[in-house]
Amino acid sequence: MIATLDSNRRWRRAFLIVGGIIAAYALLAPLTSLDAAVSANVPLLADRLWFRIATYIAMFIVMATGWNIIGGITGYAAFGNVAFFGIGAYTTGMLIAKAKWPFLAALPFAPVVAALFAALVGLPLLRLRGHYFAVASLGVGVAVGELVQNIDYGGQPLFGGASGLFLPIDSIANRGLFFFYLMVAAAAISIAVTWWVLRSRFGYGLIAIRENEEAAAVLGVNTTAYKVAAFALAAALTGLAGGIFSQWNVFINQDNAFPIEYNVQMILMALLGGTGTVFGPAAGAILLQLLIQFLGGTLPISFDLPFVSETARPIVAQIILGLLLVGVVIFVPRGVIDFFGGRSRLSLSYLRRSLRETSL
Amino acid sequence: MNESSSPHRPLQADLPLAGEVKPQLELLGVTKRFGGVAAVDGVNLRVGKGEILGIIGPNGAGKTTLLNCISGVFRLDGGDIRWEGASIAGMAPHRVARLGIGRTFQIVRPFGSMTARENAAIGALFGSSDARKGPKEAFEIADQVLELVGLKAKAGRPVAALTIPDRKRLEVARAVATRPHLLLLDEVMAGLNNVEIDEALDMVRTVHATGVTVLLIEHVMRVIVGICDRAIVLESGRVLAEGEPEVVLRDERVIQAYLGERYAKRLRASGDEDGTN
Ligand SMILES: Nc1ncnc2c1ncn2[C@@H]1O[C@H](COP(=O)(O)OP(=O)(O)O)[C@@H](O)[C@H]1O
Ligand SMILES: [Mg+2]
Repeated sequence: MIATLDSNRRWRRAFLIVGGIIAAYALLAPLTSLDAAVSANVPLLADRLWFRIATYIAMFIVMATGWNIIGGITGYAAFGNVAFFGIGAYTTGMLIAKAKWPFLAALPFAPVVAALFAALVGLPLLRLRGHYFAVASLGVGVAVGELVQNIDYGGQPLFGGASGLFLPIDSIANRGLFFFYLMVAAAAISIAVTWWVLRSRFGYGLIAIRENEEAAAVLGVNTTAYKVAAFALAAALTGLAGGIFSQWNVFINQDNAFPIEYNVQMILMALLGGTGTVFGPAAGAILLQLLIQFLGGTLPISFDLPFVSETARPIVAQIILGLLLVGVVIFVPRGVIDFFGGRSRLSLSYLRRSLRETSL
Repeated sequence: MNESSSPHRPLQADLPLAGEVKPQLELLGVTKRFGGVAAVDGVNLRVGKGEILGIIGPNGAGKTTLLNCISGVFRLDGGDIRWEGASIAGMAPHRVARLGIGRTFQIVRPFGSMTARENAAIGALFGSSDARKGPKEAFEIADQVLELVGLKAKAGRPVAALTIPDRKRLEVARAVATRPHLLLLDEVMAGLNNVEIDEALDMVRTVHATGVTVLLIEHVMRVIVGICDRAIVLESGRVLAEGEPEVVLRDERVIQAYLGERYAKRLRASGDEDGTN
């Protein structure tokens, strides 16, 4: 599965990538010109909304791809990675709001602080295996959000407390476009990092840890250092997304910087697209985020669900989402990237093989 | 029995027995307990560079546990282990591996999602710190060791498509790919037929010929007699006997405690067979 793809599969993958880029361009190019229309004071609601959605998608690409490094490649199911998103957001937010730093000077500290924190908690946490690690990491994710909201210093909430942290509004021209491209750049970095990891000694060591940690150790893999490094790398990427988010959103609090549901969403995205692969988590992030927004009725191409009242809609949307994911995990366990990019297409034997593998 | 106890033995360069020569690996009163029961109980052992040492003993004697102690998988409850004169007790497994001590697992532990070739490449990517390779060279070494163990034709197969004997071969290939100075083999020939055992013996000889010290645990007496310079018998975590394989296997205590008279007769017969080869 690594480095020894046959040429046939390589070609299909290349077509998939090129096709994806063309599709993305076709989708985004008119939006770029629409943004110019906005700056010319032509009111276009759909334009702003689309940019917001596209930026959110890029943000989730970063988070899902980052999670993939620890959860997919190393095999440690981290359930608390939203902590790194929040730490990144608050690091940049504090430097801008309290220390009055410019945004681009404050941004690099988001991944650095998130990675340092991950290394610190990773040392004890990554000794745990399986469910124990998953539960413990979830605990850390929740605890950090609570701490940030409740730490006081000299009688004042240090990080803005329950009322959150307001950042000074930036004077960035075309800010919708600016943050969109910044988040897309972060997504590209996260994918490039994954590509590099999977071709390096580091990546081979991580996969060996996932497949059999004790065997990896006696072959000379420094398992503790590798796991901590993978966790820190995942945290750095997630923290970067958080740092960009803080200035993009101008206001951060516990709810939007540490949303518990992001923990699950980034994992589902990686599963949906294909864990352990370079492009899988990104593909999953695009699909799932679009689906979430579509079902939630926030897309401009909105629709009415039959027999469902407006108030029941979020619940029904969640149920549809859940059923869809169960189906995906059962029938496409290696993710949509494998489904479309692999040798096997939609066929009875593919479904049979998938069922056999998941029902072990 | 113990070579080091005979003080006037002349030093012979072509006899790689421990004793007067500085041992490569030295175990001093190594002890490992599980819930108060000593699985390995004060084992003393010296292994000379270039030696092939066999370890035999009944099931549960502590052979695998001893291997786990040497490779750093288990922490010792007592005693010391020295490699080239320096203590390695308490060292993490990956650091032991980097010193050049490679091992296999009796119950195989392949990297399931990888092909045979990728499994072997992991050994070459890591392993002995004096022989680490980048990904490209690591795959070349993987091809070499797969050929050595007879898995060349199945290099591209995923682990799931390999038979149990093939997985044992892969276990060896991965350990050899680390380019160890000392290779610890835990019952890698169990379950092989006679032809396959001969192939495996050739493989061990080939690795040994490159200057690798070999410590192997086997139940197959033909292997111990056919290839080992020296054998030790473990029983209840203690060294019961030690010496040349033929001599050890004829030791009264060994026959009584482990082999049983019927087994001993069979051994004599097979020993004569070996003698004619
Ligand atoms: N991880 C372990 N935990 C508890 N007991 C163990 C463990 N490993 C081995 N033992 C016990 O130690 C003794 C020696 O086992 P082992 O070294 O596997 O024997 P051998 O390899 O000679 O068959 C056995 O009684 C076994 O039950
Ligand atoms: Mg054993």
